[in-house]
Amino acid sequence: MPDFFLYRRDEGTHSYHAGRFEAMASPCEVLIDSEDGALADKLSHIAQAEARRIEHKFSRYRDDNIIHRINHARGKPVEVDEETADLLDYAALCYDISDGMFDITSGALRRVWHFDGSDHIPSRKAVRNILRHIGWRKIRWQRPRITVPGGMEIDLGGIGKEYAVDRVLRLIGEVSPVSVLVNFGGDLAASGPRRHGRGWIVGVEDPGNIQQHPATVKLAHSREEFELLRGGIATSGDTRRFLQKDGIRYGHILDPRTGWPVPDAPHSVTVAAGTCTEAGILATLAMLHGAGAEAFLREQGVRFWCQR
Amino acid sequence: MQLKKKPAAIRQTLAVATASLLGGVAQNANALETSSDWEIDSALLFYAESDRIVLAEPVVRVRKDMGNDRFLTVKLVIDALTGSSANGAIPTASPQTFTTPSGNGTYTTQANEVPLDPGFRDTRGAVNADWELPLGENLTGIFGFNFSNEFDYQSVGLSATLNWETSHKMTTWTLGVGFNADTVKPVGGVPVGLTNMPVLPAIKATEGADHAKDVQDLVLGWSRVLSRRDLLQLSLGYGNESGYLSDPYKILTVVDGATGAPVADPAQRYRYEKRPRDRTRQSLLVRWSHQFENDVLRLSYRYYTDDWGVDSHTLDVRYRFELADGDYLEPHLRYYTQGAADFYHTSLIDGQSYDFASADYRLADMVTTTLGLKYGWALSDRSEFSVRAELMKQSADPSQVIGVQSQQDLVPDVDAVILQFGYTLQF
Amino acid sequence: MKRLILAILMATPFLLSACAIEPLAPWDRDILAQRKMQADPYPLDTALDEHIYFSKEASHGGAGVGGGGCGCN
Repeated sequence: MPDFFLYRRDEGTHSYHAGRFEAMASPCEVLIDSEDGALADKLSHIAQAEARRIEHKFSRYRDDNIIHRINHARGKPVEVDEETADLLDYAALCYDISDGMFDITSGALRRVWHFDGSDHIPSRKAVRNILRHIGWRKIRWQRPRITVPGGMEIDLGGIGKEYAVDRVLRLIGEVSPVSVLVNFGGDLAASGPRRHGRGWIVGVEDPGNIQQHPATVKLAHSREEFELLRGGIATSGDTRRFLQKDGIRYGHILDPRTGWPVPDAPHSVTVAAGTCTEAGILATLAMLHGAGAEAFLREQGVRFWCQR
Repeated sequence: MQLKKKPAAIRQTLAVATASLLGGVAQNANALETSSDWEIDSALLFYAESDRIVLAEPVVRVRKDMGNDRFLTVKLVIDALTGSSANGAIPTASPQTFTTPSGNGTYTTQANEVPLDPGFRDTRGAVNADWELPLGENLTGIFGFNFSNEFDYQSVGLSATLNWETSHKMTTWTLGVGFNADTVKPVGGVPVGLTNMPVLPAIKATEGADHAKDVQDLVLGWSRVLSRRDLLQLSLGYGNESGYLSDPYKILTVVDGATGAPVADPAQRYRYEKRPRDRTRQSLLVRWSHQFENDVLRLSYRYYTDDWGVDSHTLDVRYRFELADGDYLEPHLRYYTQGAADFYHTSLIDGQSYDFASADYRLADMVTTTLGLKYGWALSDRSEFSVRAELMKQSADPSQVIGVQSQQDLVPDVDAVILQFGYTLQF
Repeated sequence: MKRLILAILMATPFLLSACAIEPLAPWDRDILAQRKMQADPYPLDTALDEHIYFSKEASHGGAGVGGGGCGCN
């Protein structure tokens, strides 16, 4: 299978090009409101290169990147580049404004929680033990140096894809003024009105269907469609993973402060905001609000869709 | 869970931080722009028949996106109607005098003219509210309430519509149910059907001050996206009306079966109409919309049949020419043809007995032709002003023409002009 | 004949559902999403027309539910 695919939709004033590729474990798509095939090819390749770069740089599954170096420094300070520093500053701010609910150190909880549909609920003691390795406050971050104590780890996966969408949109904007829609596995952003004056039509769908519609993922089979002229949309909660024991269902949204699943979290939350990154953070925070997800989003005054 | 920051501040802080993360992109240039939250539709309609009814009708409809796929729609309508309406009696060679429905006055129609009741004056106010919300995956519900009131009629109704999207959202199934509980409260009471219209100062026989009318509707719909440019819709309708279904102001002329002239005794000459107390109707509607490069063709056809013996076919064609800057011009043709109700009689024959009878031309064999033109100005991307002018002509045939009646135009054509101004805004 | 036409029309959904029409992605619905391609693009025009023809003709209904009654017929 080729790793890159460009096709053209020919419909008079509604023509556009679409570039498709795989990155960040998701099908990615860039829609370009232009009939210029060469331009579309160039912009799609910019998108692909940037997605791959971000994936390579921030994936926690690699052993040759900055994340690996930070997580394996065994308590020694690591000096990071500008971009990583910006992301860490951003993560620190999200931690502050969410009162500790958004925490890039929470990945360590995966060592005790395995959401495989079984009834293997970790013991209270195990959760208490792992909590000692969680908490952004335990990390020393003084730009440009970060010190992660042994046993702890950071993971920027919670904002990586959304950040990539916004970055791609920006890079394309520096090259060409055409209207584009960047869609990385359902997290997306649009740069402005199309030539015919209207926006891109996007849909919001149940993430449970992702596997069935690989190419257009979350948006192919939606409950609601609406017009997006400019801005970003992101979804949190893309699996139906859970554990069940004694009639109690444990969802996979874990509160890093308690180490336990957030009760009554929605199945998924989709948020529309000025950028894909903001939308992603708001969606994640809403999930962590559990039963209060809708109230939280209403207070923020954003357009959102909750599925329970 | 107590948050440190005020909730609204979270979004603000995030927006600033994200802008700096992404390289200081100007804030407003990066603001979210999606489809609108509010939609306001307004219209002012004028409808005028030559020498008969004149109607002015302002309407406002507001639709608000409440978030999370929920929508609230409220519609207000005022209907102000004046003028005269055919009372059902046939034109004759000599002047005719009728008692008004209230029973305390008379009006006279000149010889060879269609009798029109000049006392039509009514104002109707109506409100509709719809609440739309998702009920499950691919399932949407719309729950509606409607109320309307005029001095001789009141209507209260509830409705529910379910839309179910299947086949990757290419197909939508619709199930709708509606129920209306109406009250007819005619001026001067409800006349007893087929009894004589009294000559003033005699008083008509009534069945009381008001009567109920219940209406039930069921619609099963199916629509399918055929291509990027084509939408096809089918819907089957079933309806039942029961209760007082007659028009309390309509009468029939009793004529001599041989000459066709009205009977001599004025107290025996006119009778109140009487329709069955039950009506069951069925319809099938097909609609197709196609977009060419930019122009849009909309075709629709409806077949209707009911147990009063009415069968009808309606064909509606609209073609929207896209002009520069979002303006458009839309010609419209509507052709409607119906077969008469079983109990439609242009006049009653003296001495014959009838179970039901009405001389209302709207129940006769009839053709309605409407030709219209609409022009829309796009004031911006999200607002539009429009003007629509239509000419309507109705031609009905009498059920039978007896003797001297052939010298009269028993059921004259009705010509009407429709003028409508509309303004739509989304924000 | 009438019954035959009715039967054919009623079978249309099933006939058309059977033939595979490739699903449209949301962004390919930009044409259908325009107001002028909606099932009822100008609901006020429709409601006003229905009101007029309800009061001037013997047939009504068929497109939806929830219109509300009127003493005009």
